[in-house]
Amino acid sequence: MRTSAVDSPESESADCARVPDIGCQAPDFEVTDHAGRRHRLAELRGSPVLVVFHPPHWDPSWSEYVRAYNRVMSSAAESHGARLLSVVGAGTWHTLAFDDASLDFPAACIDAGPIADRYGVVDEPAVFLIDPDGRVSWRHTAGDAPPSPNDVADALAAALPADAHDPHHDWSRRRFVATTLAATLAIALTRRIAGAAPAPATPTPSAFGSANAITLRVNGRELPLDLEPRVTLLDALREYAGITGPKKGCDHGQCGACTVHVNGRRILSCLTFAVMQQGKEITTIEGLAATAGRTGDALHPMQQAFIDHDGFQCGYCTSGQIMSATAMLREPWGPADDDVREAMSGNLCRCGAYPGIVAAIQSVRKNSATDQGGRR
Amino acid sequence: MKPFDYTVPTSLDEATRTGARPATRFIAGGTTLVDLMKLEVETPEHLVDLNPLGDRDPSLASVRDLPTGGLRLGALARMSDVAWDTRVKERYPMLSQALLLAASGQLRNMASMAGNLLQRTRCPYFRDTATPCNKREPGSGCSALRGYNRSHAILGTSEHCIATHPSDPAVALVALGATVRVRGADGQPGSERTIPIGNLHLLPGTHPERETVLQPGEVITAIDVPSLPFARRSLYLKVRDRASYAFALASAAVALDVSNGTIRAARVALGGVATKPWRSTAAERALVGKRPSAATFRSAADAALSGAAPRKDNEFKVELARRTLVRALTEVSA
Repeated sequence: MRTSAVDSPESESADCARVPDIGCQAPDFEVTDHAGRRHRLAELRGSPVLVVFHPPHWDPSWSEYVRAYNRVMSSAAESHGARLLSVVGAGTWHTLAFDDASLDFPAACIDAGPIADRYGVVDEPAVFLIDPDGRVSWRHTAGDAPPSPNDVADALAAALPADAHDPHHDWSRRRFVATTLAATLAIALTRRIAGAAPAPATPTPSAFGSANAITLRVNGRELPLDLEPRVTLLDALREYAGITGPKKGCDHGQCGACTVHVNGRRILSCLTFAVMQQGKEITTIEGLAATAGRTGDALHPMQQAFIDHDGFQCGYCTSGQIMSATAMLREPWGPADDDVREAMSGNLCRCGAYPGIVAAIQSVRKNSATDQGGRR
Repeated sequence: MKPFDYTVPTSLDEATRTGARPATRFIAGGTTLVDLMKLEVETPEHLVDLNPLGDRDPSLASVRDLPTGGLRLGALARMSDVAWDTRVKERYPMLSQALLLAASGQLRNMASMAGNLLQRTRCPYFRDTATPCNKREPGSGCSALRGYNRSHAILGTSEHCIATHPSDPAVALVALGATVRVRGADGQPGSERTIPIGNLHLLPGTHPERETVLQPGEVITAIDVPSLPFARRSLYLKVRDRASYAFALASAAVALDVSNGTIRAARVALGGVATKPWRSTAAERALVGKRPSAATFRSAADAALSGAAPRKDNEFKVELARRTLVRALTEVSA
C-alpha cells in the first residue's frame, strides 16, 4: 500500500495532464446528482474534494470505508451548517444526501473509463484529495485496500487553508471540521458519467461482458447501477448498492437467506439477474417496515414478532425468514402450524430457531386477523 | 460465471430467431439456469429473456380455459400461480399437489412451467465440472455408474447415463396426457407444433446430452392439459429424505376412474426413479378392469417396476417406488 505524503501545492508540471501528481491541477469532470443536476469538479473550488475510485470488483469492506469517509464529511457539515453536496453519478452513484444523516455509500465499477484514465487509475482502489484550489494535495494509490478514514481526515485537515481567526493555527481535524465545507465524497467512476436514466419499463439489453446502466427500484427508491448482466440481484443489492439485509448463504437457491420481495412476492435474489428485475418493485428487509406504514425506526409487526418470540439466534437467516414470512401470509396457505412449516421450508435456520419462527408468524397472523387491518 | 450478453426479444418470433444462435439459452425463472451458470455447467454466451414477452402477452403467463374443458397453462405461468389456481385444484389435484410439493415458496414464485419441464438433472456429477459426465460433456463417461448413485434412476437408464429427471409437475402432466405447444419449429419463426408431453423428453440412450426433442430456437408457449373428468380424483404422492423442500426419491401421480367396483380407467406416472417423467401404461393396463384392491395395486406396482435396473446404492428405490405407487392408489381409491 502506498499513500503519498501530504504536500503543499506547487506549480503544475508538464505531465500533470496524464497522471495528476501532488500539486497538479486535478482533471475536471462532471457528475450528476440524484436530482438530475450536473456538477463539475471545478464548481467545488473553495472546498476540499475527495475523489474515490473503486476497484472493478466491489469488495464489501469498501462500503465501510466510504461510509466512514462520509461520516467525516457529514459530521462537519452537520455541526457547522455547511452543505454536503449530494453527488449521484449515472448508473453507479448512490445518494450522498443533503444534510441527511442516512448517507449511503457510493458503489460502482471502474474500468478504463475516461475519468479514471485521466487520473491514471486502472483497476485499483485510489483516493485523491483535491484541495480548495483544485489541486491534488494528497493521494492514495496502488494498494489493495483503501486508506483508513483517519488518514483521510488528517489529509483533509492538512489540505485546508489556515484560518486567520484561529490563534492557534491548529491543523487538527477540528480545524478541518470548522471550515466551510461543500464537501464531495467518494466518486466511483464508470465508463459513462451522464444523467441518470429513468427506469425502463422492460429490461435493456446488455452487451457481452460489459457493464450497462440499469435502474432498480428498491424500497421505493430508484437505484441507478452499472452492472454486467451476470450480476445477480443479490450481488447488485449487497455489493453494488450496499443494501446488505439480503444475506448470501448458499448462493444456489437452497437456503432462503437472500429472500426479497419483487412486486410483493417472495423470491430468491441469488437466482435471478439484476438486469431482469428492472421496472419491478423490489423490497428488502430495510424497506419492509415502510410497507406496513411504519416510519423511522419503527419495526414491521413481523420483525417485532421475531424479537418477541425468539425467532432467531445468530440472525444470519433472519432477514430472509422475515421476508419469506410476510409474503407467505399473503399466500393461500392454511392457518395450521404445519402450514407455516411447509410454507417456510425454503428458509433454513442452522440455529434451529424454528419453533420461535412458527410462533412469531402465527402471532402476526392472529393479530392481523383481529385487526382486520389486513395486509402486511 | 462466464460473461454473456443479454437480450430482450420484443416478440416470440424474435425470440425464436435469436434463440436459434449457437451457445444461446432462453431464461424465464432462472432457477435452474442461474444456478448452473454459477457452477459453469451452463456457459451460454447469449441469454434471451422471455419474461417480458409475458408482460406483453399475459396469455403466455396465465392459466386459461380450453373450450374442450381442459386448461392451457402459459409457458411463463409461475409454478405458484398454477398450483393455487382453483381450476387446477379442482380438475387436476395431482398437478396442484405436485407443484406445491416441489421446490420452495420462493422458487415456485420464480420458476416457470415450461422451465420446470426443461430443468436439468440434479445428479451431483452433472453439477460437478471436475468429474466426467456424458450429459455435460458428451463422451467423457458417466461418474454415477460406479459412483455414489443413491439418488439416481432405475427406469429408462442406459450405460451412458442414469441421471434422474427431477421434476414433480412433469410427472403429473405426463399422467394427465398433456400437450406441449411449441413455436419456431424447423427454424421457421412463425411455425408452431404440438408435442405430446410424453414425447418431449428423450431417454438418455447413447446421447444423454440430448434431453428433449426441442430444436434450437424452439420456444414452449403453453402446456395444454386435456379434459379428464376422473382426474378430479387424483393424487401426487412424494417420498423424500425430509418432509419438505427436497427432490423425490420416489413419487407417484395417479388417477383412477372407478365405477361399480371396477377400475374403468387409470393414469399412473412415477417420478424420482426415472430418467424422464415416467408414465407407466403397463401399470395402467394392470389396473383397468380390475377391482381396486391391495392385490390389484401391488400387481400394478410390479408391472410399473418390472424393467427396473437398480445400481449399487439405489436398489431400495425399486421397492420404495412400488410401495409409493400402492399407497397412492390406495389413498386415491379410498
